[in-house]
Amino acid sequence: MTRLTTTLTVCAALSSLSIVNAQSDDPHELMRVQRVTRAAMQKIAPSIVRVETFGGTRKMLAGGGRGDGASRPKPKPKPKPKEDDDEKKDDKKKIGPLVMPGFLQAQGATSGIVLTSDGWILISRFAVNFDPTTILITLPDGRAFNAVRGGEDTSRGIALVKIEAQDLPVPEFVPTDEVRVGQWAFALGRTFGDEEPSVHMGIVSATRRLFGRALQIDAYTSPANYGGPVIDVRGRVVGMSVPLSPSGRDAGADWYDSGIGFASNIADMGEILDRLKEGETLHRGFLGIRYDTKDLGPGVLISEVTDDSPAKAAGIQKGDRIVELDGVQVRNSFHMLMLVASKMGGDPLQISYRNEDGKAKAMTVFLADIPAAEREEKTKKEESFTPPWHDDEEPKDGSGR
Amino acid sequence: MIRRFALALTVSAASAFAQGEAYSFEERKPKTMLEKAVDDHLQSVVKIHGASGLATIDPYASGVVVSEEGHILTLDLIMIQRDKTRVVLADGSIHMAKLLPPDQKLGIRLLKIDTTKLKTPLKPLKPSLEVPKNGTFVVSIGNCFRLAEYSEKLSATFGVVTATARTSLRYFLRDVDYDGDLILTDAPNNPGHFGGALLTLDGKWFGINTRMVESTETNTQISAAIPLRDAKAYLERWIEGKQPVAEEAVEKKPVYHGIKLFDTGGRRSPPAYVERVKRGSPAAAINMRPDDLIVRLDRYSVRSCKEFRETMARFEPGQTIEVTFKRGTKVRRGKITLEEKKK
Repeated sequence: MTRLTTTLTVCAALSSLSIVNAQSDDPHELMRVQRVTRAAMQKIAPSIVRVETFGGTRKMLAGGGRGDGASRPKPKPKPKPKEDDDEKKDDKKKIGPLVMPGFLQAQGATSGIVLTSDGWILISRFAVNFDPTTILITLPDGRAFNAVRGGEDTSRGIALVKIEAQDLPVPEFVPTDEVRVGQWAFALGRTFGDEEPSVHMGIVSATRRLFGRALQIDAYTSPANYGGPVIDVRGRVVGMSVPLSPSGRDAGADWYDSGIGFASNIADMGEILDRLKEGETLHRGFLGIRYDTKDLGPGVLISEVTDDSPAKAAGIQKGDRIVELDGVQVRNSFHMLMLVASKMGGDPLQISYRNEDGKAKAMTVFLADIPAAEREEKTKKEESFTPPWHDDEEPKDGSGR
Repeated sequence: MIRRFALALTVSAASAFAQGEAYSFEERKPKTMLEKAVDDHLQSVVKIHGASGLATIDPYASGVVVSEEGHILTLDLIMIQRDKTRVVLADGSIHMAKLLPPDQKLGIRLLKIDTTKLKTPLKPLKPSLEVPKNGTFVVSIGNCFRLAEYSEKLSATFGVVTATARTSLRYFLRDVDYDGDLILTDAPNNPGHFGGALLTLDGKWFGINTRMVESTETNTQISAAIPLRDAKAYLERWIEGKQPVAEEAVEKKPVYHGIKLFDTGGRRSPPAYVERVKRGSPAAAINMRPDDLIVRLDRYSVRSCKEFRETMARFEPGQTIEVTFKRGTKVRRGKITLEEKKK
């Protein structure tokens, strides 16, 4: 016993020794990182393009704008209730809130990454939020091209465009599995029209965020680098800076200086890329069930089935218990959420479930696109308010403030 | 138990490891370049206290000692008023500051303190006229939120040069009229940090922190600094008394390009579509036509008719500029020589 303790103590002492060694650091360590950073930036720079948009009508705030999913028709205005004149006067006196709900999108330039040498460019959906009439892509060498819109993936916040160019430099992409938490992550962009890309520094905070679709990084992500690559120290792309949030709305810069940024996984999209090239708009998968939150598993007890949903079409009913999805034993409701949400709309899903009377059934359904309403319910409704000073033609004399 | 204790002690002694040493800054050698950059320059950045009164104006900022005679460089802030501006040196001593005329273009100002009674001479910083490339690591020193009082040390923040660019700015919802380059960093810049020093890790002082401004390009707040490269003439004028090369006051004449835009007006300026091109005009020489969409003039993006007018106002008659425009699905470029607008 004594021997064991001594060994342990020596180990402890030695380990603290190594800590001392690590702390009496190399004085030039940061300079070396700086050199590596610069080299990585120069390596990736030819593949980062500048994206400018022109025209477009939609004026959006993050809070009330298009969320993740198909846009919802505007609700009809409610008929005004007849009230006393005094109350009406009071209403008029009310001034809109001075605090901006959400983030007002600036229509500045954003960035994009060359995806193939024959002109497919990956940009952020943020750039096409306004539904612009013209998208202009400027290559680092100064050549400008008119871009034709391809598909969009709302769950990753990315969009694909095509330009008529050849022999573009394609960057190296890192497979998602090789990215480690704690490694350097530099978010690059071309918003400021500098010769070199702009850069924000940080680390990878987490992998497999937003149902395996994004990395979480702590570098500032803002319109200054949306659509730009997030690179490692070797100048390889680990993801693309996009405005994302778990609630699914276009987060804008909500989390700008909170140390939370998202980099979409774009390395191994596989067939999603083909679908984007076809011009499809992809959404997260949607099964259409609600579960009993008090049920702790195993399996998931269905409490409600949404109308016109894949689950309804498959004949799933209230009281059924989902046992397996794609051959995976479902442990509980959150496990099911992970399994379904990591799929895209249109993907097949094998479901095994049991009836209330214990009869087992199995079938394959095709997931639907997640409806916008489903997402927006989860985010707190904010009153949409456009401050007058954010228009292009603002009063010069400071009136109206 | 005793034996374990003894052994632990021996091992510790053998490895020259004593508790506390790992955490003591002074004894740890060598200093990293970052630590050295901060330590070497802390003495030269000062706290500035000014006129208070308005709740929205913070009566504190930072400044940098630039001469042994007592010149201190800071921003030209509202709170810097005659007879009300005090400078607190690193040793905690307070000095009333005289105001020298500001550089209105850059928004910077020199202060001067009386150095005759100083016990220790000032340690001025030498401005570096280089602007570091994007991706260079930087450290920013200042008195953010007035956290340091008396002789307390100022705060240092670390980041990387994001870009050096001209971007349109907004400060408290008002557009800022600043036409020079700004060094954007991701080293946090907060109220009170203004006027502080921005340094590279090898100790080159190249920028002064500006106020927290918002970029209208991104609608986010940015940490920005004014490059000292641009402040060279101002510093020489007021420190060394060097007379500036008199700039010839040239009246800017309006330019003629022959393009009439399809400007529908309204609250949001529409994209710059060409409605008409005058025959024989500079624009007609490169065969511009109605319905072309102008997207860029020289290196300036033109996203709206308003931006077209603003950008054209930058140019002078006789200047040759490159016009980038879109026709159909093709993007074309052409050079036009601007003429003087006839009345």
